[in-house]
Amino acid sequence: MAENFLGNYKSCVSARATDKEILKGAQDGGIVTQLFAYALETGIIDGAIVAGPSDEPWKPRPMVAMTKDDLLKSRGTRYNLCPSVSFIKEATRSYGLDKVGIVGVPCQVQAVRKGQLYPAGLRDVPDAIALVVGIFCMENFTYQSIQQLVEDHAGVKLESVKKMEIGKGKFTVKTERGAEIALPLKVTHKYNQPGDHVCLDYVAEWADVSTGSVGSPDGWSTVFVRTKKGEDVWAKAMAAGCFETKPIEQVKPGLELVTKLATEKITKNRKTLEERASFGVGKGLRNPYL
Amino acid sequence: MSKVVEISPTTRHEGHSKLVLKVDDAGIVERGDWLSITPVRGVEKLAIGKTMEQVPKIASRVCGICPIAHTLAGIEAMEASIKCWYPDDARRLRVILQCANRAHSIALHNILILPDFYIPGTDTKINPFTPQEPVRSVAKRIQRIREISQTIGQIAGGEAIHPSNPRVGGMYRNVSDHAKLKMYDLAKEGLTLAHEQMDFMIAVIRNMQKRDWTEVGGKQIPIPKTLGYHDQGYMATDPVYGTTSHSENPTWSYERFKETRPWDWYMGEAEVNLADPSYPIGGTSPVGTKVNPQMEACTGIPLYDGQPVEVGPRARLVTFKNFDEKGTFGQHIARQLEYTDSFYAMLSAIDDLNPHGKVLADHIPQGDGSMGWAANEAPRGTDVHLAKVKDGRVQWYSMLVPTTWNFATCSRALTGAPWQIAEMVVRAYDPCVSCATHMIVIDEEKRIVAQKLIQ
Repeated sequence: MAENFLGNYKSCVSARATDKEILKGAQDGGIVTQLFAYALETGIIDGAIVAGPSDEPWKPRPMVAMTKDDLLKSRGTRYNLCPSVSFIKEATRSYGLDKVGIVGVPCQVQAVRKGQLYPAGLRDVPDAIALVVGIFCMENFTYQSIQQLVEDHAGVKLESVKKMEIGKGKFTVKTERGAEIALPLKVTHKYNQPGDHVCLDYVAEWADVSTGSVGSPDGWSTVFVRTKKGEDVWAKAMAAGCFETKPIEQVKPGLELVTKLATEKITKNRKTLEERASFGVGKGLRNPYL
Repeated sequence: MSKVVEISPTTRHEGHSKLVLKVDDAGIVERGDWLSITPVRGVEKLAIGKTMEQVPKIASRVCGICPIAHTLAGIEAMEASIKCWYPDDARRLRVILQCANRAHSIALHNILILPDFYIPGTDTKINPFTPQEPVRSVAKRIQRIREISQTIGQIAGGEAIHPSNPRVGGMYRNVSDHAKLKMYDLAKEGLTLAHEQMDFMIAVIRNMQKRDWTEVGGKQIPIPKTLGYHDQGYMATDPVYGTTSHSENPTWSYERFKETRPWDWYMGEAEVNLADPSYPIGGTSPVGTKVNPQMEACTGIPLYDGQPVEVGPRARLVTFKNFDEKGTFGQHIARQLEYTDSFYAMLSAIDDLNPHGKVLADHIPQGDGSMGWAANEAPRGTDVHLAKVKDGRVQWYSMLVPTTWNFATCSRALTGAPWQIAEMVVRAYDPCVSCATHMIVIDEEKRIVAQKLIQ
């Protein structure tokens, strides 16, 4: 039997939000924003830790969103690190949340789950985590890397960028004035932050619901519903008409591409881990999975 | 001919302490010594050379029951030394934190003292852990009050135990609008429960006061009407919060304070010649045990106006609210009265709090080495921290904690009580012993550290 690189899941669909306002600023199908907006509205969560705006262009800053307006400010992907997990305790403290939603890339989802299992320094936090949404992640960048890629390689000022996308083998930068610069993904590789090379999770296997653009047509997102809790929230959101969906089998490129990329990432990184084990003199570099 | 009996350790309070009692033939205490035997923590020495930000956090670690009082007293001692004002909203958050700590501590103390008391109208002592009514619903109410207080403390202070939010110059962050509402709703619920719990406790305490005897170790022990009376005077600085040397109107005075040594206060070497194996939890120390309170005690004896004083709920109520009941039962009643007071004060602070207000001072001076002190009204009494800060570093630090004040006073209050219920007198002070231990320095210049104790 082939190895499972997509984690356990209960169902998988291609979906997009029905709310036009959310879709307008969304990276793809607006899944995370719509799901959190619904969960906030119905009291499934009373706040969500998301990547909000900061003083610098395209630099995300963790923010506790407590209204739909807050969520709208955080729409779209900014391809650099956002230390959202650092807010998880504060959300239950000075923000006074009882039911916290959090969105993150696979490594952040792992951290949240680990924190729930071993809540050292996280008194009263594990039970307060109500919904964990994961996003697919092949690699991520530091803010300095994104600055260099956009300002030096693509040659545009970060302030004038309207959207950034990674897909179809390209890193694409679209500006306010309509220019579109596509860099081959190969250029970006040396800017990846180092943790990307040892991560063995592409599709946020530990989230309640995980989502990403890969596998679905433009403007749509692939959604894995993974846990009982995720299934419950997703079913309610569907019943409330939050999303339109297509069966994943009927869309192109479909799960085949997701599986291919997941396999690529995990196989490549396993190799890196093996190399690291014998790197250096006398002792290897640490394998975070051991 | 008086006999010596030793109860070691004393139980149902925080920390490690013991009682050495000289009793007459009828078993009435002629002279009582209650002393701390918790090993010295050394926080005051650890503090030297650390930054003024670190020290209050270290001081907080001296104990887990009132870490909030130690944090706030520590921080305000720093602020008094560097002469820093902090914004009003930070003050409100601190008051909320203070009241949350007090409410949870009273609730915890209820659990500790209830086994001394009877269910009114019966000869059955209260076991707070029994599943039977009416005790079970009281226990649940106590736990809910604690839960509410801890949650409010967690929101205002970042953490219910060892709060992370307070800092020199104010607080690290204000709370959200949502959090303010949550605290308010919780405090409202807490207030109702506190009223119910106060009424219950007062009924139980009054019932005990009317009784002629209590059962200890299978014997009926008479309860004197003057149980726990003393003439040592009271000291309190504020009904709720506290005062500092930087306040406009400081209500404590360093000049009136003096510290004496345990060997000037406690009795000397003696041998136990009265023992009772039926005394609860393993009996008293066996006959022949050598005791030496002068050398075993590890606290200084703080004096205010030349004598030990009582601090705590009754001291606050006597000073600020004309409370006039003396003795052990008066002390218990005073503590229950503070239940609702703490929730009212908390609600008013939450009401006044502006979640968008500034909570950190614009300018935080780094200090010129002058001495500053802060007195915080901790649940069990006045907690005074003294500090000298220069260029952001602590040069000298001293903690005069509540139970240190009470040790000597309570020792005097034991006189006249049957020895079997001496522990009841001790528990009425809600002792919190671990923070009360000190490195005793005899000569600062020659660096002589209590050599008498080491001999």
